[in-house]
Amino acid sequence: MKDLRVERDVQTETNKIEARGVQVFYGTNHAIKDVDVDILDKTVTAFIGPSGCGKSTFLRCLNRMNDTVASARVEGKILLENEDIYDARVDPVQLRAKVGMVFQKPNPFPKSIYDNVAYGPRIHGLTRNKSELDEIVEKSLRRAALWNEVKDRLHAGGTGLSGGQQQRLCIARAIATSPEVLLMDEPCSALDPIATAQVEELIDELRTDYSVVIVTHSMQQAARVSQRTAFFHLGNLVEYGETGQIFTNPKDPRTESYISGRIG
Amino acid sequence: MSVFMLLVVIAVLALVGFVIGRQRALASAAGNIKEMHSLPLYYGWHGALMVIVPSLFALTFWLVIQPLVIERQLVGYFPPEVVESSAARTLAMADVRRVAEGLDIAIAQGAMTEVQADMVRTEFGSVRDRLADVGVALGAEVTPQILTAAQDYRKYAVVGNIGRSILTFLVALAGLIYAIRITNKDFRARNRVEQVIMALLSLSSTVAILTTVGIVLSLVGESLRFFTMYPWQDFFFSLTWSPNFQGGSDLGLAPLLWGTIYISFVSIIVAAPIGLFSAIYLAEYASPRVRSVVKPAIEVIAGIPTVVFGLFALVTLGPILRDWIAEPTGWGNSGSSVMTAGLVIGILNIPFVSSLADDVINAVPQAMRDGSYGIGATKSETIRLVILPAALPGIVGGMLLALSRAIGETMIVTMGAGAAAKLDLNPFEAMTTITVKIVSQLTGDTEFDSPETLVAFALGMTLFVLTLGLNVVALYIVRKYREQYE
Repeated sequence: MKDLRVERDVQTETNKIEARGVQVFYGTNHAIKDVDVDILDKTVTAFIGPSGCGKSTFLRCLNRMNDTVASARVEGKILLENEDIYDARVDPVQLRAKVGMVFQKPNPFPKSIYDNVAYGPRIHGLTRNKSELDEIVEKSLRRAALWNEVKDRLHAGGTGLSGGQQQRLCIARAIATSPEVLLMDEPCSALDPIATAQVEELIDELRTDYSVVIVTHSMQQAARVSQRTAFFHLGNLVEYGETGQIFTNPKDPRTESYISGRIG
Repeated sequence: MSVFMLLVVIAVLALVGFVIGRQRALASAAGNIKEMHSLPLYYGWHGALMVIVPSLFALTFWLVIQPLVIERQLVGYFPPEVVESSAARTLAMADVRRVAEGLDIAIAQGAMTEVQADMVRTEFGSVRDRLADVGVALGAEVTPQILTAAQDYRKYAVVGNIGRSILTFLVALAGLIYAIRITNKDFRARNRVEQVIMALLSLSSTVAILTTVGIVLSLVGESLRFFTMYPWQDFFFSLTWSPNFQGGSDLGLAPLLWGTIYISFVSIIVAAPIGLFSAIYLAEYASPRVRSVVKPAIEVIAGIPTVVFGLFALVTLGPILRDWIAEPTGWGNSGSSVMTAGLVIGILNIPFVSSLADDVINAVPQAMRDGSYGIGATKSETIRLVILPAALPGIVGGMLLALSRAIGETMIVTMGAGAAAKLDLNPFEAMTTITVKIVSQLTGDTEFDSPETLVAFALGMTLFVLTLGLNVVALYIVRKYREQYE
């Protein structure tokens, strides 16, 4: 795996999110066990690990999406810029405007492309008039590398796009609210290789403005797009570090077994 | 042999066909299922179906044809004027059949012998009295023609019944032999059985269509008859409804149509928001425990007979509205009113709207909700902007179903809104609807030959066109505004 050792310049060393002693329970099932992790600003962080290891669950803690699951219970501290997001004073709705999320399966709303992207700015009242909204829509679609493909049919249905375009539309929708962190839960698992390459390229570009956290099953993808990688196994954070180091010189034997394909 | 016995014989032969078909197929493959084209069960079913299907066809055919043939044989006994008129001929044939049945019963009870039944003549005494002794009441004294016709009818019937038994038995047997001969391990029994089942399924679906066509045709026929007796301009444009069975009626549609529309409007004003809001609460906000109690409780409403709702309107709601709202405000003093009927029909329709809306809201994929929450939308924003638009077609469908029911509702209107055909804007006045008038025009001993009764069919046709139009509009709206996911 020597070829994976590419130059990885992590641009900042400021922590965006600090998680300390996070525990998640689904009913009686202890899904996340005492996880500590620091997520850096303007960095792509990948969560890898076998199915059911808790990486998606942990991701969903970061914007309190687990609140929508009735049986879920989260303990510990997660600080977003030194503010505890599980504090009673924090409104999860406002938090999610700051921590956007892209899902495994593209899920554009059954509305026009324009309305899909404008959804977030509209509900958060980010614009004062139509031209400002138009501007945000165009900027977000350009940022998601979709503008040139859809600029002539902004009012056509978002569900009529191809799978890869739909996923980029969902990314545009998520970045239209100008979040600080973008969470991606296996964003390429429902896409073909070409669409995957486009989305991966996009993720790399998004790094200049956002802190991106991506859950992936594909170790190649983690190696390609991320600067930091966290390996989860059975609800534990086994190892967390610079991506090149995780893939070439893992410290924990479990990490080594997983990336060399012996477990998972 | 009676029809029942024939069915038993067919069933026995089918069982034989099943057993033999299965065994022959197994035997030809020496018991090795892998050698056979189909599973053994299919060979059995093939044997049974080959007995049942053709023999039932033959039996049905015979049962339809036999009375027609016998009737033709007996024509000679009737005077020409009876034969000419189809109504008179039907009546005469009914008499013949009744007397023939009477003779059968008399023999069965031992009041006559077979020979006596053949020999009995009107000249020797009243046949009517003799039949009355065994419990067969006849409307008029039996004429010699009718009696001889009846006696011939019995003879033909006996011959016919024997022929029927023989034919059915032979067809069933032929089917059995055919199935047994054709069955071996290479015979494609599964395909044949599936073909028969598919034919059965498509036959069932045609029954519904044919019924609708039949209903429409009968409505159209009778409506046309009505319009030959009563000018259509008066029916559609006259503003008064005052039927008079002595003649000189005013049969204007307008007051009835107005009552129908007004009451349906009030009911949908009640049912649509309450039903929709309760569906949203149940689908999105209620905890599973609340839901498991409230949803069945709402659906109980749908099971209450409408006549009970009518009682509620008549005894409880009507007087309350009159005493607390209509009389104090001086809007009227009638216990039956558009408001009473409309409110009660609205309550009746709440479960239809809520149940259908609940289903479609639940059918909106969780991914839509996640997507919306993930951007930071609140629950109410998600419901308003994502879920309701996606669920719109189902919601509109539920409301139109409710509206159709309101338009077709009869009992609650009769008891809640009264029977006075009136054109009025005051919702506390008694009014009536098309359905109520259809019932009141057809109840009582009236012949279907005056405009006063035939108007019921024209009213029915109007109702049918109204609901059909409503459905077309609904389809159009749903297609146009649908936000389709996937």
